[in-house]
Amino acid sequence: MAERRIIDGYTTPGTERETVMSVEALLGAMDVAGVARAVIAPDDRELAVDNVAGNARVAAMASRTDGRLIAACGANPWFGDQSIESLREARASGARMLVLAPALQGFSVVDELVDPLMRAAGELSMPVYVHTGQHAVGSPAQVLLLAERHASTRIILGHCGTTDYVADMRFVLEAALPNLWYELSFVRPFAMSVLHEAGGSDRFIWGSGAPRNDMSMQLRHFDEHWPIDEHPVTYAENLLRLLGEVAG
Amino acid sequence: MIFDCHTHWGMCFVERDGRDPSAWLAVMDRYNVTHAIVLPHAGLEHAGHIADDHDDLAAVCAASDGRMIPFVTANPLDGDGGLAEIDRWLGDGEARGVKFHPWLQGMSVCTPFMDEVCERVAAHGAPILFHDGTPPYSLPAQIGMLARRHPRTTIVLGHTGLFEYWREAIAVMNARDNLWACLCGPQLEGVRQVLARCDRTRLLWGSDFGFTLFDALGYQLDLFRQAADDPTCQRILEDNPRRLLRWDA
Ligand SMILES: [Zn+2]
Repeated sequence: MAERRIIDGYTTPGTERETVMSVEALLGAMDVAGVARAVIAPDDRELAVDNVAGNARVAAMASRTDGRLIAACGANPWFGDQSIESLREARASGARMLVLAPALQGFSVVDELVDPLMRAAGELSMPVYVHTGQHAVGSPAQVLLLAERHASTRIILGHCGTTDYVADMRFVLEAALPNLWYELSFVRPFAMSVLHEAGGSDRFIWGSGAPRNDMSMQLRHFDEHWPIDEHPVTYAENLLRLLGEVAG
Repeated sequence: MIFDCHTHWGMCFVERDGRDPSAWLAVMDRYNVTHAIVLPHAGLEHAGHIADDHDDLAAVCAASDGRMIPFVTANPLDGDGGLAEIDRWLGDGEARGVKFHPWLQGMSVCTPFMDEVCERVAAHGAPILFHDGTPPYSLPAQIGMLARRHPRTTIVLGHTGLFEYWREAIAVMNARDNLWACLCGPQLEGVRQVLARCDRTRLLWGSDFGFTLFDALGYQLDLFRQAADDPTCQRILEDNPRRLLRWDA
């Protein structure tokens, strides 16, 4: 049997509210689920207003795990030039991905406010994960616009518009932008066939959203509807390519 | 007994199974779900289909040995006609409640018609279940305003704010005693927070099964059970729905 290599595309081992999860708890959950590696992102407050401290906390966590945990960083575009500075610092401290959470950070993804940060991420070769929802300021259609405007920045569309904007994904997927990938945390596992029919199957990235969802449970249900053995691209390879660990 | 309080007799089932509930019930059986509140679908998508949808729904529920409990809807643009449709089904108890899906039905809940509906449904002793969790017409706080204006009407948030608005659902649940919420949408931590912070005697569970052919039950039930201990499961999967539906009356 082929060795199953699974990477969790988004987790939030945070310190408060609904994302309390220690690094030990996360590694334990990964062991139970059979997940080799995981992207770790700052928690909500850190993404919104505490970028520097959050990025340092996440980088410290990642550095203790020999590459098993992959650091993502936050930079709120409202901090202007300073947000680009924190992105560069985070990059230097090992961050591999930038996270934007428009609803949390208080901007629309189509606002020009975010353009300098998007360009900087592109120059640093860092993929940008964009949370969809709440959808007035971060819907799949808006992320499509962002991706068109920043063709040289690679973007991961988080959650695929779950729940009621998942219908928008058909047109987003059909647009097939070369710089756009689709992450699956919070997507209903039984809805995978809808996304698949719309044609995004080679661009999916699996994520658990832990601790907001249970990693093992998510993986078990996804395996049922989108088998791990049939889709190594979804469960590991796309992300490795985005991170530059695999060519292509 | 286990009650799934948010299911549909979906258009896909009408097309495939006509008025035969056996395949639909077989999915319920897989998870030992004994009863379900069954909401319309075609009538939510197209007001012109409401009457036919209700006839299908009544027939399929009548063939279910009492396991499928129909809720009906009404055309929000039809004024007295809409109220008459509600009377027609609730009057003799053939349906046990009313459902609205404001964004599918293209209606604000802040209308004189909805005021009338709330009073009429309360007079029948039945609840109203709303789709909630999406702008612009279905935010928990918007539906909470109806609950505020109609304190004797039992109003159910059909999704407890869904994936994005469960915090708003918690806030409004804690402000309105006549508001209930069906855990059908929030992610695991959202469900946990709702259980921890809301009155558990007004919570229900649902899967949204039947809107599509997908088996949503296994996932949604796993998610709920992961968040709820045994006494809470008993309360939310059986005791509360029985009270909501006046099952023993
Ligand atoms: Zn529904």
